[in-house]
Amino acid sequence: MSQSIASRLARGSARQSEGGGRSPLAKVPTILQHVYIWIWLLIFVMPFLATLAYSFEAPNGGYSLEAYDFVKGAFLDNLRYSLELTLMAIVGNLLISIPAAYAIVRHNVPGKRFILSTLNVSLYAPAAVMGLSLLITYAYLLDFLPLTHSTWGLLAAYVVGTFPLMLLPIIVALRDLPMVYEEAARTLGANRLQSLFRIELPLLGPGIGAGILMTFVIVFNEFLVTLFIAGPSNQTAALRVYGLTRTAGFSQSTAAAAATMQLVSFVVVLVFFKLVGSRYLKGTYFA
Amino acid sequence: MSRVQLISVEKRYGQTLAVTDFSADIADGEFVTLLGPSGCGKTTTLRMVAGLVDPTSGTILFDDQVINGVPTNKRNIGLAFQSHALFPHMSVAKNIAFGLSMKRKPKREIASKVEEMLDMIEMTGFGDRMPGQLSGGQQQRVALARMLATDPRVLLFDEPLSALDRNLRDTLKYSILDLQRRTKKTAIYVTHDQSEAFAISDRIFVMNQGRVEQAGSQLDIYLRPATEFVANFVGDNNAIPGTIESIAVGEDGQRTATVSAGAFQLRGLALEPLSVGDRVLAFVRPENIEVVGGDIRDEADGLVTGTVEQIVFEGPTVRMTVDVAGTPLNVSASGVERLTLLDKGDKQVTLRFQDVSLVRQGAES
Repeated sequence: MSQSIASRLARGSARQSEGGGRSPLAKVPTILQHVYIWIWLLIFVMPFLATLAYSFEAPNGGYSLEAYDFVKGAFLDNLRYSLELTLMAIVGNLLISIPAAYAIVRHNVPGKRFILSTLNVSLYAPAAVMGLSLLITYAYLLDFLPLTHSTWGLLAAYVVGTFPLMLLPIIVALRDLPMVYEEAARTLGANRLQSLFRIELPLLGPGIGAGILMTFVIVFNEFLVTLFIAGPSNQTAALRVYGLTRTAGFSQSTAAAAATMQLVSFVVVLVFFKLVGSRYLKGTYFA
Repeated sequence: MSRVQLISVEKRYGQTLAVTDFSADIADGEFVTLLGPSGCGKTTTLRMVAGLVDPTSGTILFDDQVINGVPTNKRNIGLAFQSHALFPHMSVAKNIAFGLSMKRKPKREIASKVEEMLDMIEMTGFGDRMPGQLSGGQQQRVALARMLATDPRVLLFDEPLSALDRNLRDTLKYSILDLQRRTKKTAIYVTHDQSEAFAISDRIFVMNQGRVEQAGSQLDIYLRPATEFVANFVGDNNAIPGTIESIAVGEDGQRTATVSAGAFQLRGLALEPLSVGDRVLAFVRPENIEVVGGDIRDEADGLVTGTVEQIVFEGPTVRMTVDVAGTPLNVSASGVERLTLLDKGDKQVTLRFQDVSLVRQGAES
């Protein structure tokens, strides 16, 4: 049996090397496959590449980095503000989602399914509807809180809008996490918190990471809800880019700001995959 | 080093009784096994001792102190899980050190203890490996080391070997016994594997449907089963229904009953409260039925004759089905005698029963 497998493998590799050496025609399907994949990739990144190329164009027809002076200057504040908001939204989502996931997975919450499907409403709701609803809520229902035209208002909107994206991967990860690790930690003398921080959260890490990544991508680039809620002092990067297209027109500096935003997202996602790797897709260590 | 007592411990899940009326007094350093089929309540009992499950009623004591309500992490116990439960994100050394770092021991002390534990399980130099890089047997050994590192008062084992293959199981069960003997710690071991239970226990509690059917030494359980369930669950057994005709009390106070089983009679040990006229099941193990040579036709003194229906050579033993007055009995012969039986090929054989145990029929099992 094993012999036959070995001989089959040997034959297979022999055939491969023959194909490589003898007939150039045999390569054609492989080349076509690659071309096909690259065409699609190109279509996906085309708008970004176009914006990037446009941002490098100098007014006299050459290429320059002049437009990026604006990015390094005034736009940096908007970027920083967006990053701060995103970070706060991530922290807020974590603080809500981890206890909520435990309640839903480990305890018998009555109406569990109803709660879960209701939570998803914020994901399905059109952003314009969401923005308008929050605006009305802030102005009439919660007018005693400093939410209208404020950072807190934006933060609340982001958390309400995105925490299911954090909650769901953590729920999945927690469901896959066998109770036995918590129990083992308890028998070894760990109290509830020690077990949570030393054992459970690290094991839920990939699920939590997935939630962080999704929160980041959504909140950092969020535009429409922000447009409804933000006041003059809440200029996020996305809002600023939009504002620029209206005031400055489609200039090189607008393109540079847009390209920079895209790059920041891109780099964060790449770093995330580098750090957490394929475990992100599995949710936990065990799936 | 602890005496463990359970007094009338009960656990209900809604209407379902998981464990009822469980009482045990486990001496310091004793190795006790809870043996029973799955769902018999043995694991629930162990988890109540560990504090992972709260008893519905009853009291659990360590060294005469009630520990109901004391959380697991304050009980100072060690629990070995079926799935070994090594923390997959920590190295072997970190796993072993975990309990000690929870106790905030100084780093140097932890490091030397980890080395000591690795030596003990003969895995010196494996400290930096991750659990996923170890074999099943190595993982379970690391789990044992992790459990022993904190010097727990009581060792609890929840079927720690059932996920391993047979050879490994045999080796590891003696390692566990050896560790327990060396550390002189009280141990409670849960298993559904009777050979495991027989090999390592000082005392066995046979459980069924949430109740203790019988508690006793290996010999008690094997030779003097108290209930029909124990007689059937532990080892092979022949059950012969009959009625007690008389009971003779010997000089040593042993009560020997004569049981009429239809066409033949047999004698067995009648434990209290069996009395004359009781309907009983007489249990006799296949290896305790002796074939006394085919030519004896004397039916006195507990000899009965039967017809061989089937005879199978299994190597070290010969297994026969013998029809005795309509009751088919399994007989297992070993030694040189088995070859003689095969050679002769007799149809009629005479049997002598030894170590017959009597259990009241219809009693709850």
